[in-house]
Amino acid sequence: MSGAAVEITGLCKSFGPLEVLKGIDLTVLPGEVVCIIGPSGSGKSTMLRCVNILEEPTAGKVVVNGTELTDPDVDIDSARTKIGMVFQSFNLFSHLSVINNLTVAQRKVLKRGEKEAQEKALHNLERVGLSDKVNAMPAQLSGGQQQRVAIARALSMDPEVMLFDEPTSALDPELVGDVLGVMRQLADEGMTMLIVTHEMQFAREVADKVIFMDGGYVVEEGPAADVIGNPQEDRTKSFLARVLDPIHHGPSDPE
Amino acid sequence: MAMSKRKRAQYIRYGQYGLLVVVAGLVAVLADWGQIRRAFFNTDIAASMFPNIITVALKNTILYTALGFGFGLALGLVLALMKLSTVAPYRWIATVYIEFFRGVPALLVFIGIYYGVPIAFQVQFPALTTVMLALGSVGAAYMAETIRAGIQAVPKGQVEAARSLGMSASRATITIVIPQAFRIILPPLTNELILLTKDSSLIYILGLFREQYELTKFGRETLSRSPSLTPILIAGLCYLIITLPLGYLSRYLERRTGGKKVSVL
Repeated sequence: MSGAAVEITGLCKSFGPLEVLKGIDLTVLPGEVVCIIGPSGSGKSTMLRCVNILEEPTAGKVVVNGTELTDPDVDIDSARTKIGMVFQSFNLFSHLSVINNLTVAQRKVLKRGEKEAQEKALHNLERVGLSDKVNAMPAQLSGGQQQRVAIARALSMDPEVMLFDEPTSALDPELVGDVLGVMRQLADEGMTMLIVTHEMQFAREVADKVIFMDGGYVVEEGPAADVIGNPQEDRTKSFLARVLDPIHHGPSDPE
Repeated sequence: MAMSKRKRAQYIRYGQYGLLVVVAGLVAVLADWGQIRRAFFNTDIAASMFPNIITVALKNTILYTALGFGFGLALGLVLALMKLSTVAPYRWIATVYIEFFRGVPALLVFIGIYYGVPIAFQVQFPALTTVMLALGSVGAAYMAETIRAGIQAVPKGQVEAARSLGMSASRATITIVIPQAFRIILPPLTNELILLTKDSSLIYILGLFREQYELTKFGRETLSRSPSLTPILIAGLCYLIITLPLGYLSRYLERRTGGKKVSVL
């Protein structure tokens, strides 16, 4: 078990009286791609944000590459440099050009020289197919381009794990493919990835493992083909039925 | 035959124009134009004010304002960060400071620093330092609230992205939040600069050498030699040379940033 890239045990998170995560256990092996699916409010984004401690867990342990991030003495800033994160709303630094978005943390956090940071940035822009946008400002880019820049920004830190929090949910439908294509390429290159997503097709094709979450618990987990193709739990079945075939289902019954 | 509402409104409007023409005509006939010109546009007095009103007074007004604004901006930033601090006593100190200096007249602050401090502490500041401290400490109180609003207007996702890249909280604030906050508050900050330009006239109450005079003091001093409104009018026009372009700049910046309203308070 010591070889796990991410190991979460007994993770709980409450916002005041609201219990969002009620004891999550999850192991991600190096090079594994794990997709987390589930209805909104099920705690999937909160769980992902606990992996790099953007949300402070209320209880439980999060270990990434052998470092326990829930240990209060750990240098969380240095640990985060090895965990890339991509957000639903891109969050590019709006006052910086594309190239500076990619170099600012390399320079200020990793203390890389200007030349090294630039080279790293250009290499990663090429990986996401945006070499021609080096000097553009974020506001001049489409959503899909912004998200690819955000991926390149995270990659420029040479992370060991990448977290994606609904990376395509804010995109126009015709731009989703560009971003998913970049993510698939990353997966093929062997990056360890945790992806919160509603793209079932992507999850089925790219994920090694799919986690279905509901109500703050992991309800079902297993290979993508099993969880999405042949779910065992009723809650997974009804969720997938609504997502995969939305027009043939009435309003969900309240529980 | 009742007149329609719209017709009536039209006639009333015509009436207003008529009234204006009549009043303007009466003023033109009855006024003593010679006296008015002597009072407002005495060319000899106006000529005697040049070039010093530009090379000394206008220059000093700009210098004093710049000093006060620079000091105020720095102190205002510190106060804004204190007000947003997680350390409660910092917040209290900032709140007390801001409420005090926004609540008392700037003139009182000038008097306090120029006359009060030397008596209390046996330190006499030069005039330039007094202006910087007095204008700056008043300006800081107003700017602190503006800067705080700007910092809070920066989307939370920007900080999260910075933190997820390994930046510490303070590094994220300096590198990401503050530059974006200043972009947002550029229009209101320009307005603070206009207010400060006008407040720089309060240096008037200090004892100054002739070469330290700014526009108001220069106008007042010319007035004491030449009984005419001309010096005051000229000094006023000089203020407009500074404040009007700044006002247009502020409105232009506001339009360019999409008129994004930042709530101050």
